[in-house]
Amino acid sequence: MPHLDAAYRFARWLTRSGQEAEDVVQEALLRAFRAFDTLRGTDVKGWLLAIVRNCHATALRQQQRRGFVPLPSQEEADFGATALAAPPDPEGYSIAEQERRRLTTVLAGLGAEHREVLVLREMEDLSYREIAAVTQLPIGTVMSRLARARAALRASWLKDTSGEPRAVR
Amino acid sequence: MQCAESLRVQARFDGELDALAAAEIERHLERCPECRALVEDLERARTLMRAAPLEAAPPALRARVSRLLDEEGAAERGRPRALERGNRTWRWPSFWSGAVAGVGAAACAAAVAWWFVFSAASPDGLLDDLIAAHVRSLMPAHLTDVVSTDRHTVKPWFAGHADVSPVVADFADQGYRLVGGRADYFEGHRAAAVVYEHGPHIINVFSWAGAQRGLPGRTTRNGYHMVFWRIGNVEYCAVSDTGWDELEGLVSRLRDLGARDARD
Repeated sequence: MPHLDAAYRFARWLTRSGQEAEDVVQEALLRAFRAFDTLRGTDVKGWLLAIVRNCHATALRQQQRRGFVPLPSQEEADFGATALAAPPDPEGYSIAEQERRRLTTVLAGLGAEHREVLVLREMEDLSYREIAAVTQLPIGTVMSRLARARAALRASWLKDTSGEPRAVR
Repeated sequence: MQCAESLRVQARFDGELDALAAAEIERHLERCPECRALVEDLERARTLMRAAPLEAAPPALRARVSRLLDEEGAAERGRPRALERGNRTWRWPSFWSGAVAGVGAAACAAAVAWWFVFSAASPDGLLDDLIAAHVRSLMPAHLTDVVSTDRHTVKPWFAGHADVSPVVADFADQGYRLVGGRADYFEGHRAAAVVYEHGPHIINVFSWAGAQRGLPGRTTRNGYHMVFWRIGNVEYCAVSDTGWDELEGLVSRLRDLGARDARD
């Protein structure tokens, strides 16, 4: 199934929860399946990611209508529970692994609009035009948002590093 | 206060600028420490975000979605779904028509490449190839493979990427700035392209191991000026939208240098 991995990764960063991501992806692939004939052009991946994004937005609206509005801190804690299960032995993790976990925390803490452009650009390697298609934003907005997102990532990373000095041996 | 060029520096980093803008930004970086620091930050963030292997979808999700789509497909076709599991992980019928279209496109590309190789047997075909390569180089992120203003970086780079070792020099003090080098492929040869910048113009200097043919000394095609010359068995062609005098200015410098190299 082409692009299922990309769809899942993107959904995971949007929802910050493994379980929610699975639900979103499942819904998105069904929608994509039913609408496949309407696909114009060749960018299947971008088209699918746009559907994932719409499904996520719909799910979010439904949650809000039901009055279920998770606090950001709670969401992060949920995400942490699945993505960053506390290692039984922190010393057992390599520095690379520690960095990866810290990046996950930092990314999860960014605003949703910053996180999505960063993930699409750096992890999925989409061009500005493709990101604009997925997020339904003008290219100029993609550029400036990406710049702000990178600055936010940097600030948050530095804060995280300095605030929590780590013993590196 | 952020430098006014920071967005274009980012776009350059992301490979989104056309050749002219990219060259402008390279020049800007030389004199803006703030933007150089920005590039370092961008690189660090990218390294960090690309260090981890990409996560895959959980197998259970894959299986579930695959089953759902099967059911959906079966319902759509209004007949019971096939029983065997092995070869039906992806059931979008249109996906296969897409795959067929892909193969068709590849065949077309091969046919075009074939046509290029053979049509290039006449000088006309070669001229078209050179113009196409020049125009292609002006598209975003295609200007250079190796970016450097130092000929000692650019020249050795060609050793692994082209069939010839062209004359490379930076005449920045005379208005022809070396931007970098690029490998191109036409006429069955790996050609070297050295990129210079003259004012707002880009000049591509192509070189390849030559076969004897009736090449013009100079000509104009699609509005681009082309100058041909030969040093030893290496054929050179400079292409640009500059005026003749500017183009000949670079060519005469390169010819002098090449002749001197050949004597030494």
